[in-house]
Amino acid sequence: MKRYLIPLAVFVVLAGFLAVGLRLNPREVPSPLVDKPAPAFELARLGAPGQRVAHTDLRGRPWVLNVWASWCLPCLAEHPLVGELARSGVTVVGLNYKDKTEDATQWLARHGDPYAMVLVDRDGAVGIDWGVYGVPETFIVDKDGIIRHKHIGPITPQALREDILPLLRRLGG
Amino acid sequence: MAERAGAFCARAAALLAAAVLVLGAVIATARAQTAGPAADAPAAVTAAPQAVPLSDDPALEAEVMRIAHDLRCLVCQNETIAASNADLAVDLRGQIRSQLRAGRNEREIIEYMVERYGDFVLFKPPVKPTTWLLWGGPFVLLVAMAGWLAHMLRRRRAEVAAAQAPLSDEERRRARELLGTGAE
Amino acid sequence: MLLANNVLLMVASAAVLLGTLYPLVLDALNLGKISVGPAYFNTVFVPLIAPALFLMGVGPVARWKKASLPELALRLRWAAAVSLVTAVVTPFAFGDFTPLVGFGLFLAAWILLTALVAVHDRVQGLPLAQWGPRLRKQGGSWYGMILAHAGVGVFVVGVTLVGGYETEQDLRMEVGSTASAGGYDFRLVELRDVQGPNYDAVRATFELSKGGRVIKSIHPEKRSYHRSSMPMTEVALERGFTRDLYVSLGEPLQDGAWAVRIYVKPFVNWIWGGCVLMALGGLLAVADRRYRLRARAAQPLPRGAAAA
Repeated sequence: MKRYLIPLAVFVVLAGFLAVGLRLNPREVPSPLVDKPAPAFELARLGAPGQRVAHTDLRGRPWVLNVWASWCLPCLAEHPLVGELARSGVTVVGLNYKDKTEDATQWLARHGDPYAMVLVDRDGAVGIDWGVYGVPETFIVDKDGIIRHKHIGPITPQALREDILPLLRRLGG
Repeated sequence: MAERAGAFCARAAALLAAAVLVLGAVIATARAQTAGPAADAPAAVTAAPQAVPLSDDPALEAEVMRIAHDLRCLVCQNETIAASNADLAVDLRGQIRSQLRAGRNEREIIEYMVERYGDFVLFKPPVKPTTWLLWGGPFVLLVAMAGWLAHMLRRRRAEVAAAQAPLSDEERRRARELLGTGAE
Repeated sequence: MLLANNVLLMVASAAVLLGTLYPLVLDALNLGKISVGPAYFNTVFVPLIAPALFLMGVGPVARWKKASLPELALRLRWAAAVSLVTAVVTPFAFGDFTPLVGFGLFLAAWILLTALVAVHDRVQGLPLAQWGPRLRKQGGSWYGMILAHAGVGVFVVGVTLVGGYETEQDLRMEVGSTASAGGYDFRLVELRDVQGPNYDAVRATFELSKGGRVIKSIHPEKRSYHRSSMPMTEVALERGFTRDLYVSLGEPLQDGAWAVRIYVKPFVNWIWGGCVLMALGGLLAVADRRYRLRARAAQPLPRGAAAA
């Protein structure tokens, strides 16, 4: 009689793991860059190709990198929240990922431009350095240039309220 | 009568299986040899220009694919970076290609990928404390089960040997008692 | 010895289960996200299953009397020899010889041939006319075993040949150019823009010919669904008993040319076929009345039937 309890016990444990597993999101791959220095970059600004911005220019205060593209539907969905984030006073830098200049400029004109500046990553090379694998993605970087958080997918009100804004307050932004 | 029914059952099952197999083979062969030649087959297939490999350097390309085969595409997550058609996969193949051209070796390229995308990107799980159970588990299980099997076999052999040993006097007396013969 | 096979099969299955569930368990415990792919399964599963496959050949032959090792070796010497020859010679028909392919083919041939030896054992010494009746007398479980073993052999052939000889080509093609793969010629005849219910696509027409004779046309597509930003690739898949052919469109290049990917996968459908045979073998075995009789025999005897 007791021997039949062993497979049953194994099954229950397995079912437990599966139950937890079903709630996890396979699209959310944790970033190995958290708590590491932000990857170096030096990019041109959208609409002002002569002006180049490097990662070192952003030291001294916490800032947010928002990866977006005009062809990305969820980016449109999160855009108002990006605006809200910008209004809270933090510097939000947009990374225009694998996009066309005209499309990006038109998109911002139509939907609003909350960004302190928009940097152009035409071929996605900087995206690869930051471990970007989809759009939108949002990174929070502290004043010393260390990445502290990565948000995968569009920013939700809950994420803004519970993760992003509190973290920024802690970082002094 | 039960025997007759049983034999019938087995025969019926065998016939059914054979029928399914034959049917399957016929269907498969028919599909393999699909529609006959077109009414006007092209006269000179050989004269048409031959497709060229996409890459100028097939050896380099083969190396790119070899490395890409063990990397997971994060967009089409069940595919390798070699097989996936996703934009990111194309970009990462390009990265591998340019890094190989720059002289980096496979280990450095893998490290590059893991630095940016984490262990998830590796289809061959790294050996670290969290994966010791994964890599060592099957071997440990094999040794344990083989050991258990050997132990059980040894025990059974001992039991069989003991059972075949002649009865002791005491056991013989008990046996007589139980069987009710009572004789000395 | 047959119990050893049970151990091997069990550990092999457990290894597959472990590899499959491990990422889930780690993620659920928040210990990180990993991927377990072919590299792991090949490293762990193959060394476990290979001896099991070898013992599988010995099983049906050792069954009906307790045969000793030298005796078994003697009875199976022809199966071993022919398997070895097959393993060494066949690869050259496909291309080059690699030890892994040779090993796989040896195991496959071994399993199939030992199944034949088992059949032969049952009719040994009988005139041909009596083979039918004798074989018909075997129970469903015996047929099931033979069929299932044959299925395993077929499966191993499929896995070995596809693993050893599949080809993949990345080509630049424009309308009118021809590619060759797996003994077939693929000519890109047409590229057309088509509109689907919820997508726009570029539809290519490839003419498939063998030895100059056109067999059929296949149509890979590159679709842009209206709601999505990512183009989707529709592969043209040409299935066959001895090979599968895939053609897929990659990226559009300059001058109207396209990147095209062509795969040839030899004997890949034998993998599925082998599994079907195994399943049929299992069904036959379950249908055997002996398993049903045994359940009845386990019931206690009615009172009064015991010896007085």
